[in-house]
Amino acid sequence: MTAPAAPLPLADEIGAAAKPPRRSYLRKHPSVAIGGFLLLLMIFIAVFAPLLFTVDPTAIATSRRTRVPSELYWFGTDMLGRDIYSRVVYGARVSLIVGFSVAILSSVIGLAIGLFSGFVRWADGIVMRVIDGMMSIPPILLAIALMALTRGSVGNVILAITVAEIPRVARLVRSVVLSLREQPYVEAAISNGARVPRIIIKHILPNTIAPMTVQATYICASAMIIEAILSFIGAGVPPATPSWGNIMAEGRALWQVRPHIVFFPALFLSITVLAVNLLGDGLRDSLDPRLAKSI
Amino acid sequence: MLAFIVRRIITTIPVMAFVALFVFSLLYIAPGDPAAVIAGDQASPADVERIRQSLGLDRPYLVRFGEWFFRVLQGDLGTSIFTSLPVTQLIAQRIEPTLSLMVLTLILAVSIAVPLGVIAAWKAGTWVDRAVVGFAVFGFSVPVFVIGYLLAYVFALKLDWVPVQGYTPIAQGIWPWFKNLILPSITLGTVYIALIARITRATMLEVLQQDYVRTAQAKGVSNRDVLFLHSLKNAAVPVVTIIGIGVALLIGGAVVTESVFAIPGLGRLTLDAILRRDYPVIQGVVLIFSFVYVLVNLAVDLIYTLVDPRIRY
Repeated sequence: MTAPAAPLPLADEIGAAAKPPRRSYLRKHPSVAIGGFLLLLMIFIAVFAPLLFTVDPTAIATSRRTRVPSELYWFGTDMLGRDIYSRVVYGARVSLIVGFSVAILSSVIGLAIGLFSGFVRWADGIVMRVIDGMMSIPPILLAIALMALTRGSVGNVILAITVAEIPRVARLVRSVVLSLREQPYVEAAISNGARVPRIIIKHILPNTIAPMTVQATYICASAMIIEAILSFIGAGVPPATPSWGNIMAEGRALWQVRPHIVFFPALFLSITVLAVNLLGDGLRDSLDPRLAKSI
Repeated sequence: MLAFIVRRIITTIPVMAFVALFVFSLLYIAPGDPAAVIAGDQASPADVERIRQSLGLDRPYLVRFGEWFFRVLQGDLGTSIFTSLPVTQLIAQRIEPTLSLMVLTLILAVSIAVPLGVIAAWKAGTWVDRAVVGFAVFGFSVPVFVIGYLLAYVFALKLDWVPVQGYTPIAQGIWPWFKNLILPSITLGTVYIALIARITRATMLEVLQQDYVRTAQAKGVSNRDVLFLHSLKNAAVPVVTIIGIGVALLIGGAVVTESVFAIPGLGRLTLDAILRRDYPVIQGVVLIFSFVYVLVNLAVDLIYTLVDPRIRY
């Protein structure tokens, strides 16, 4: 008599376990929620910059130079009378474009180099020596050296930082490939006569996605900082372009009397980098629980 | 042991050679013709060609690299385009502030970060641990110039405890030197402290679960000795590694920190060289910094064998 009723709740339980509601993931990993929210906010600011009560960020007006923050100029004005609020809001575009582009480009190129090095054994020694050599030049210095060769532009900044970040991804992918090659299921696939492209797509790539996603967020954060540093020291995007590093560079001479010029871009940069780092930490915890336990 | 040291030093040679090749290529592909610059505006194309030949600029890439490399080995880094002074002389003039800043930061950061990481691991899960982990995330996220301006505003401008900017040579007394450098060192050290504390904590968490730690506690060894003698020594390899790798952060950060605090060091030299497109100077600074970085990591590898006798190459 009781037998027919029993399976029902059981089926419910299985259903609940197999499809956890989305909310519980975010609750379990609050840093993904906070980081993701802050990053989405910054993306919103960057995309809708013209609609957010901004004026032309490059409009010069000598009559209203170095004003302190007020109702009219929310973040004050700089030494050329440009509205800092507008410049900071538009500056989000440069930071996000540089961060995302470098993360994607260096991941793709690093993945290709790592796979090549992990599978083509005769080339491994040469490729790794070159990677070692590149890694023995501190990334910021490498980016500075590359920027010294070209004109300052957003594209060149992205390329310079990408070159500096590629070795990290290549090394990571290579180490994943080398450890996976020893796994029984990969050996089984090889002995079954599977070709290299199939092994890469079926067995290697799925295993690199988690560590690479985490790595990509850290590279994104690092790229944003390096972009700001390059612009700050005058080797980044052209001075006319509103970028957080540029605004700070312009405020440098006046920071003791007008600290607000440096303060606002610094605040936005810190929040954005914090958001990306929180997202990275949360993704690492959820994608790679073994690593999360140790760090 | 000696054989290992010799072998390890030999393995750095290809790395240094690659760095040298890269840095040379930088100048090789740099826009602008040095011969035309030296000849001046009034020179005829024939004059420029003559100067180019006398400088050896018309010879093949690898020949020029070989000659340049040979001069570098003899301590000749070329001549600054802008000041016409030897690059080695420019670097020698600016090296003291940068070296002071980096060494002080290194000492400060290691002596703060390692105990911080040990205590966080010992008190894992408590508010102390959470505060250290929180600080580590903060340290990674707030860029070095932001920390610099913040500290300078509070401690130099508002509280007036230390000078806002500048550098006093160590020859004029340790105290004025230290007073000028303390804020820049904390600024530069924050991200470094975050990195070392995080790795120390993670490694210590693992070590504290080992049987020999429990044995030591069971036989009544004091907490301090368990943590700093038994455990830290076994956690030393990853910690020493990250201290070595983190020097790259110090080098990059030094350029910015010097600019925020107006310290006349190698960072300022680099900055001025970039603005003037003075390639030989940029080349020299990148080469010197990379050389230091390779040497630091060589030293790290040698320290491994001291802290962990099991390691034999």
